[in-house]
Amino acid sequence: MSQHNPEAARSVFTDAIKLSRDTGGPVEKGDVILDVKDLTVRFWVGQEWFTAVEDMTYQLKAGEVLAIVGESGSGKTQSSMSLLGLLPPTGRATGSADLKGTELVGMSIQELREVRGNEISVIFQEPMTALNPVYTVGFQIVETLRTHYLMNPSAAKERAVDLMRMVEIPDPEDSFNKFPHQLSGGQRQRIMIAQALACEPKLLIADEPTTALDVTVQAEILKLMRELRERVSAGIILITHDMGVVADMADRIIVMKDGKVVEHGTSQDIFKRPQHPYTQQLLASVPHLAEHVGDGELEGPPNTVIETEGRPVPLSAPRTSSEPALLMEDVAIVYPKQGRRPEFRAAEHINLRVEEGEVVGLVGESGSGKTTLGRAAVALLPVREGKMTVAGHDITKASMKELKPFRRTVGIVFQDPGSSLNPRLPVGESIGEPLLLHEGLKGAELSKKVEDLLDSVHLPRSMRNRYPHELSGGQRQRIGIARALALNPKLLIADEPTSALDVSVQARVLKLFKELQEEYGFACLFISHDLAVVEQVSSRIAVMHQGHLVEVGDTLDIVTRPQHAYTQRLLSAVPVPDPDEQRKRRELRDAIIEREHLVS
Amino acid sequence: MSNDNYENISDDADRIEEAVPDAPAHDTEIPVDTNDGGELAVERPTDEADEAYGRGEGVGEGQEVLGLSQGQIVWSRFIRHRGAIFGLITITCVLLLSLLSMGIGPIDGLWRVQEISSGDVINGGRPTLSLPGIGGSEFAIGLNPFGQDSLGRDYFAQVMKGVQTSLLVAAILGAVAITIGVTVGSLAGFYRGKVDMALMRFTDLIITLPVIVLGAVLGALVGRLPFRLGAGPELTAAIRDQMPVLLAVALGLVLWTGLARLVRSEFLTLREREFVDSARVAGASDWRIITKHMLPNAIGVIVVNGTLLMSAAVTLEAALSFVGFGIAEPKISLGRLISENQGAFSTRPWLFWWPGLFIILIALSINFIGDGLRDAFDPRTKKIPSARAMAKAEKQLAASRAEYQRSKEEAR
Amino acid sequence: MARFIARRLALALVTLFILSFLMYGLLEFALDPLVDLRENPAPNREQLIANRVRLLNLDVPWYQRYFLWLGNFLQGDFGIGWRTMQPVGSMVRGAIATSIQLVFAATIISILLGVTIGLVSALRQYTTFDYAITFVSFLLYSLPIFWVAVLLKQFLAISANDYLQNPTINWPLVITLSLVSGLFWAGALGGRREKKIKVFLTALVVTLAVFMVTLMTGWVENPSIGIIGVGVLSIAFALGVTAIFAGMNNKRALYSALTTAVLGTIVWWPLQWLFHYWQMSWPWMLGLLAIALAVAAVIGWLFGGPDRNISIRGTMLAALFTSVLIFVDRVLQTWGPYNDTPQIRGRPLATIGAATPGLHGDFWMQQLDRATHIMLPTLALVMISFATYVRYQRGAMLEVLNQDYIRTARAKGLSERVVIVRHALRNALMPLASIVPVDFITLIGGAVITETIFGWAGMGRLFLTSLGGQEVDPVMFYIILTGGLAMIANLVADFLYAVIDPRIRVNA
Repeated sequence: MSQHNPEAARSVFTDAIKLSRDTGGPVEKGDVILDVKDLTVRFWVGQEWFTAVEDMTYQLKAGEVLAIVGESGSGKTQSSMSLLGLLPPTGRATGSADLKGTELVGMSIQELREVRGNEISVIFQEPMTALNPVYTVGFQIVETLRTHYLMNPSAAKERAVDLMRMVEIPDPEDSFNKFPHQLSGGQRQRIMIAQALACEPKLLIADEPTTALDVTVQAEILKLMRELRERVSAGIILITHDMGVVADMADRIIVMKDGKVVEHGTSQDIFKRPQHPYTQQLLASVPHLAEHVGDGELEGPPNTVIETEGRPVPLSAPRTSSEPALLMEDVAIVYPKQGRRPEFRAAEHINLRVEEGEVVGLVGESGSGKTTLGRAAVALLPVREGKMTVAGHDITKASMKELKPFRRTVGIVFQDPGSSLNPRLPVGESIGEPLLLHEGLKGAELSKKVEDLLDSVHLPRSMRNRYPHELSGGQRQRIGIARALALNPKLLIADEPTSALDVSVQARVLKLFKELQEEYGFACLFISHDLAVVEQVSSRIAVMHQGHLVEVGDTLDIVTRPQHAYTQRLLSAVPVPDPDEQRKRRELRDAIIEREHLVS
Repeated sequence: MSNDNYENISDDADRIEEAVPDAPAHDTEIPVDTNDGGELAVERPTDEADEAYGRGEGVGEGQEVLGLSQGQIVWSRFIRHRGAIFGLITITCVLLLSLLSMGIGPIDGLWRVQEISSGDVINGGRPTLSLPGIGGSEFAIGLNPFGQDSLGRDYFAQVMKGVQTSLLVAAILGAVAITIGVTVGSLAGFYRGKVDMALMRFTDLIITLPVIVLGAVLGALVGRLPFRLGAGPELTAAIRDQMPVLLAVALGLVLWTGLARLVRSEFLTLREREFVDSARVAGASDWRIITKHMLPNAIGVIVVNGTLLMSAAVTLEAALSFVGFGIAEPKISLGRLISENQGAFSTRPWLFWWPGLFIILIALSINFIGDGLRDAFDPRTKKIPSARAMAKAEKQLAASRAEYQRSKEEAR
Repeated sequence: MARFIARRLALALVTLFILSFLMYGLLEFALDPLVDLRENPAPNREQLIANRVRLLNLDVPWYQRYFLWLGNFLQGDFGIGWRTMQPVGSMVRGAIATSIQLVFAATIISILLGVTIGLVSALRQYTTFDYAITFVSFLLYSLPIFWVAVLLKQFLAISANDYLQNPTINWPLVITLSLVSGLFWAGALGGRREKKIKVFLTALVVTLAVFMVTLMTGWVENPSIGIIGVGVLSIAFALGVTAIFAGMNNKRALYSALTTAVLGTIVWWPLQWLFHYWQMSWPWMLGLLAIALAVAAVIGWLFGGPDRNISIRGTMLAALFTSVLIFVDRVLQTWGPYNDTPQIRGRPLATIGAATPGLHGDFWMQQLDRATHIMLPTLALVMISFATYVRYQRGAMLEVLNQDYIRTARAKGLSERVVIVRHALRNALMPLASIVPVDFITLIGGAVITETIFGWAGMGRLFLTSLGGQEVDPVMFYIILTGGLAMIANLVADFLYAVIDPRIRVNA
């Protein structure tokens, strides 16, 4: 930071005596700071070496952002952790990684300690678990500083507060003494960043820095990182699976698959002219917000309704003569008081109509109440106020017995495919359970039906005897869908069905979903935090924020001309996998963030 | 008794070995999912093969779990656990020895002494068992392998009877405690709220007193039972005869608390799992959800802690009998044998050694079986990498790496 | 905070009330206060029975009798033990202190030992050391405590006394112990093969040397520490504390701890005069300790520098250790006279009772007498709960070591010492708060057995004799006392938990 404002050069930090090594002296923009050659990472699994990263070669210049992209298991994280010697005990790195003339691979642990946090620092994914819960955030930053610099606590505190100010923590002196759990997710990630920048590292590794965050918070963190990037001369390695984030940040990109680098190029090259089939497929799999919108379609006033001045979004008029699949009238869902925890109104004043055969997307950030609403629609949660009708069944005050016929008409697909199937049952039995309970099907008849269902989700029939742990995530989610469709329901609740999946798997599951929706003609409430996914499958979108519906309207209008301020913010925060377009969107987004900061 | 609170110890973290951690927020999935689209199938002829392996849980796991049910996986892990196998073999031997020698119920065993009665003390009652290497030159059982007590009674017969009592108590106590513990724990965990409050307060009430104190009171109660029932001599004798069973049931009413707490917390966790919700949406009743979906998933906790509970039962019964509130005349218990012969330690130490040895053998074996089960049920357990094998492989790797570099340079 | 405590106390009282009611009912059926009279052939049997019924209110239904008892209990009348016709209050007078002493000593020792060993075992996961510790803890779980207690009595106490009377060195035992020590340290410190061998040999030789010096110079028969011992041990401890909690790089912490150790050693001399001319007592001891700690805090503060708190913590620990050493040294000075008293006659390790009857020693000799008595029962009790703590701490530590924040701490460049002590240990100690009260209750139960075997006139033994003697009141007193202690233990644990875990808000 000091290079650019020499007047601020003298500070408690610059006066401090450095205890740890200073590899290769100061760096200027454009210097090669990291030179990786034939980096290979292996793990000792069972009785053999499993190669997690194979012959990786790249260079990183100061001030540059290199994105390492890949799906889970591609080795992208391990390749960077090996630079710091942070592999699990069974991991071994070979090859060469040269940090300004110092070889990192094979370095002794004492030497590595001087590099860690000092020359190379890391921003981890999950700021809640990556900060120690029993120490104040200020202490954790100070600790980093005092490990590498001879500083007394007050000087270190001064520096830490400066850093916290730099990462825009509100009221840094006060926040210095807060514990991680007292800060929001975004603020915790800012603390992580401040801690990583504390010793002015030459190399910054950001390991999925925004994955655990909501999209609007992600936008703010990305903005911060871009600004910092201008100010610090470090090289940044950005590890992520999110092509939107890559488009937002990266100068150069490495695409990895199964431990191998499949493509390496500038951001423009990768996004505009991908060469390798895998890259092409990966990019094609990424849902692209408002991708298929032509200008001509946007005529007439936007067909959306927004919440104004505390007046909830009214119920839309019926569009078909048939009975709606789901009807919520002024619904409120309340988590009752538990012990001394007060009751929590998770959703209130909800008016929503889902017509027969219609797919409505329900979008919102974590804690907005969207999952609550989905669970209430299948009677997993009681409705406190208002009226909820599903395909003609009023389930507002229904007893267990009255719910039985209703259960036939709904199905639900859950987010986590690992948790939504009973690990002790063969998946065939899981699929067959609703059939057994409602239609009393047994034996051959049941088998036949289960096999049909497996066919329809494109899984081999032999899989019915498998256990969930033997299936991949995508396969499990298909089983989940088959099970939800077993009774041919009128309404399907899809609760973030793809958010735990890699993009390429997500693309295939979404494709299957659309296919099945056409085939079976069920109505669906498709819940997701990802606008781009919802856009692909739904005809209308409802946006939820802090327990209220803030905007409901046609998909096209919501993704192009949102009316409510929150929808606008949400929309602008979604990064798109296209560097040029993203630059435009970013400017718009930053403007919105600025405006909000001014307001608050 | 030394480990009656052992159930509360969650050392879940034991034996965690992460093979290849990467991007924890995402389920590991190989990009080749299924051949649904056709367009991908063209590029990947290996689709079918990969899919068949369903590589879900990380690298190197696929082959190992292929086509196995959960039970088979647990079993295959269990038999890899050396301690558990040692325990299983030992406990089987002890059980067989006691059954073969002293019989069971009315059926007589093979040992010459079936009715324990006093007789002449031969050679000071010294054990006649001699094993080559351990104080003997050849293998011999002799008349009184474990020696005789001061009344000349055969000690081997007594110890074997005591072993039978211990095992019987452990089994019945385990069954009672597991039944109560699982019922209370699962109801509390499933229904939460008021039910949970009430059941857990009740549990706390029982936990407040040391097990041995409650056990002693219950032991005294069982001992007074014939009098309280106003039983005649025949009924009294019958009750005395069933003493171990009654005592085991009474102690079972005390020892279930730890298991109930664990089952409850397991149920609270399971309740958050989505398959429970999805069963509910499918229309399953509470009964079906508890028995079909939740209990099978809590079986690990139940089996493991039930086992440990039984080992606690063995030492508890022995301790109670030792202080005189457990098994009383005419029944024989290992604890009672130790108690009776305490004073003879300096003159006839074997009277003290044998019962103690068998208590330890039984309790230790059960503990090891429990430990093996814990590892077997823990999904995070992987084959433990042998440090030596890894170091060796590392050397080989370095060597092959050097060769590769050399050949590369030579090629240049 | 006050509301939290008040609520918990109220809950504890309600629990205690229900517990006492249920137990009273249970005892009604389990005990028969007329048992000795029923078989009595005396002609005035009926008269005797009527007397006893009147004495114990046996004609009243038990639930009514319970409230009578409760009313009296709350007024401080705890009832009588009818066999001796002694009021319960006087029966338990000495017993409570005796039992609490035993249980507390065992709790503290097993926590310290268990946590340390469990921690090391977790750090050396999958090594032979780890497996050995696991095996030992399983073995301890499986040992019947009454059996072990008898063995301890037989072997440890009697052999040690025999040795003291007639010192002949048991070389195989010495060598075995030295080997075990070598293996233990090599396993605990771990590292590469060369380092392990080095550590093994060093530990072996040092242990052997210590054994030889202590045994052959007759130190064991007449142990003492002396000013040199105090000095050497204090300085070693100061170095160790600094290495673990502050790091040797922190010169100020190092110097302040060393200063404290040296000062403590110097003070040894004037203290001997004080001890000689004044009659000492526990208030005196605690007062002196308080002064020592205060002086240590000042030293730490003066050396201070940037990390005043670390320095102060180090000096206070050092002062505590040195004070204890000086105390032990003074107690050991009475060893000779103690051994020569007619009650001891050269067999100092006691196997029966909590104190030697008829011993008229001064304060120091009483402490020595108490120590020789409490040693074996405590050891037996520690064996019960040591394994629990080892297993628990090992599990907690492994869990914590897998957490993301440990990786963060390593990625910050912190040394392994800081990662383990500051980041991992602190978090791994928190769940201990929930295991300590449970274990405490187990230990109270264990005390029932140990007191019986070692002939301690404690509460546990009183409980057993009263239960066997069909006396309800003393048993009820024991139950209330135990229940009360358990409640307090739980309360303290909750409170500690709330203090050490910032995520828990007590007043919420």
